[in-house]
Amino acid sequence: MNVIELLRLALSRLRTQRLRAALTMLGVIIGVASVVALVGVGQGTTSNITNQLASLGTNLLTINPTTQNSDGSTTLKIGDAIAIAQLPSVAAVAPELSANQTVKYGTKTTDTTIIGTTAAYPSVRAYSVWQGTALTDVSVDRSLRVAVLGKTTADNLGLTSSDVGKQISVGGIDFTVIGILQPKGGSGFQDPDDQVVVPIGTVAKYFVGGDSIRSVGVSVAPDADMTLTKAQITELLRQRHELAASDDDDFGIFDQTQLLAAASSISGTLTLLLGGIASISLVVGGIGIMNIMLVSVRERTREIGIRKAIGARAGDILAQFLVEALTLSLLGGLMGVALGLGVSALIARLAGWAFAFNPSTLLAAVLSSLIVGVVFGVWPARQAARLDPITALRYE
Amino acid sequence: MGGPLIELERVSRIYQMGHMDVPALDDVSLSIRDGEFVAIAGPSGSGKSTMMNILGCLDRPTLGVYRLAGTPVGELDDDKLAKLRSRTIGFVFQSYNLLPRTSAIDNVATPLLYQGVGRGERQRRAREALERLGLGDRARHEPTELSGGQQQRVAVARALVTEPALILADEPTGNLDSHAGAEVIALLRELHRAGRTIVLITHDATIASLADREIHLLDGRIAA
Repeated sequence: MNVIELLRLALSRLRTQRLRAALTMLGVIIGVASVVALVGVGQGTTSNITNQLASLGTNLLTINPTTQNSDGSTTLKIGDAIAIAQLPSVAAVAPELSANQTVKYGTKTTDTTIIGTTAAYPSVRAYSVWQGTALTDVSVDRSLRVAVLGKTTADNLGLTSSDVGKQISVGGIDFTVIGILQPKGGSGFQDPDDQVVVPIGTVAKYFVGGDSIRSVGVSVAPDADMTLTKAQITELLRQRHELAASDDDDFGIFDQTQLLAAASSISGTLTLLLGGIASISLVVGGIGIMNIMLVSVRERTREIGIRKAIGARAGDILAQFLVEALTLSLLGGLMGVALGLGVSALIARLAGWAFAFNPSTLLAAVLSSLIVGVVFGVWPARQAARLDPITALRYE
Repeated sequence: MGGPLIELERVSRIYQMGHMDVPALDDVSLSIRDGEFVAIAGPSGSGKSTMMNILGCLDRPTLGVYRLAGTPVGELDDDKLAKLRSRTIGFVFQSYNLLPRTSAIDNVATPLLYQGVGRGERQRRAREALERLGLGDRARHEPTELSGGQQQRVAVARALVTEPALILADEPTGNLDSHAGAEVIALLRELHRAGRTIVLITHDATIASLADREIHLLDGRIAA
């Protein structure tokens, strides 16, 4: 008997007992759907995090001070940023100071981060300007009270594209809005569009005392080596901070790709964990198939006897019952894939990330439902094949 | 009449009940030629069912040799036995033994399925067999939608469809009223006239007398 004959036999059998077939398949449907949906969620999270990190700039190094004096000042100074900018492998440098302030426009207020920086900020942090202009060298040099708003902040204040040039109040001090940044989008840990960018000197003057800075963003030249550049910066800063050979660094250099690797390894583990939990329900579904097939062998003992008497070999009976179990699991698997994709598309829409359709996951889901069918179908099928035709024919 | 189709040489079938050996068939020898119509008769417990199982290649002799169409059955494994059944024997049972929830035509076509015949030819030959038995208009009916006599005729059609050398009928009238029973016997006689070998197993002496030759079994032995 060939596969098509066996399949036809199995399908006509399942048609005669639709409800039973449907309920048996439900176990596999739920199992496969939860695997597909949860792995989809895991992969969606991964690509979401990866995209967000990539949107911060992949050639970005961030330097932060790691020690702090008792007065809150650190060893990282504006002069360090200027010195780093002289390195040949560095494309741009943006020193940053930050303060949290309440921003007010008309009757609307919002609490947000004020970033004091230089004109290089958009190119280092991979922002582009949506309306108006970015900070200019002149405004930075003169520490003017001008502000470039992130899109979220602008929205919170009710400012639109036509509002460039309006006056806002930051911590009670008036600033002129000179531009609004293009949103990077994305949700999650920190909204990159909720900030106010102003000249670094302005922040130092009005909001933060001292001359130490919070961080330095370094954009590495496209053809330069990240690791080498990091080493050069480390060397330079150790010299400038007059650290002895035995001293630890008083700063840290963070590489965006490191963060990227760490984040995707975490969410990869998460995906594996979710898939593992979901596959337990697939096993339960398989046990359901085995159960119903054993019942079926018992019920159809006489049929098996008849088939054997009129010429079926043990192998024919084995194949018939195995294909029946496989049909149940495979149909269940395909429906489960459809349901799982539906659910993960829905979750992706609700969470606001791109729906990732991964063919290898689908292949794995269909394959594993096949394996479930074989593993849990073989035993009942062997029971059927081994029946003695004489006893089976007499069975009532 | 041709040569011997069935040859039993000193065949015994012994069942073990606990420590006791119970011979259901005891040293039986017989020969049935191609084209004969033979009845094997006897009361219950005489070894009829065992004889039917042995002749039908559903069981093997404990002792002795059974040759069907020249093939010694005792030496065959299960798969070869199934193949021999499929090629040479058509069964008709007392309780019809049609496949449930399966149309008459699919029931009749099933033996051909196990011979590896393609679907188109299976359906054609099954339809032919049904029409020969006057059931052409019942092809799509399932067993539960047919009368007892019709079900038994479907079973005969199923036995015939493979063109077997031997038709083995085990109490084919047992579940039928006298009218339907007479029809089935007439059918078997007709098949016999067409040249087929028929072995009819029955406890009913009247029905047995309708065959050309009667073999009486008693306590596992041939009685006269």
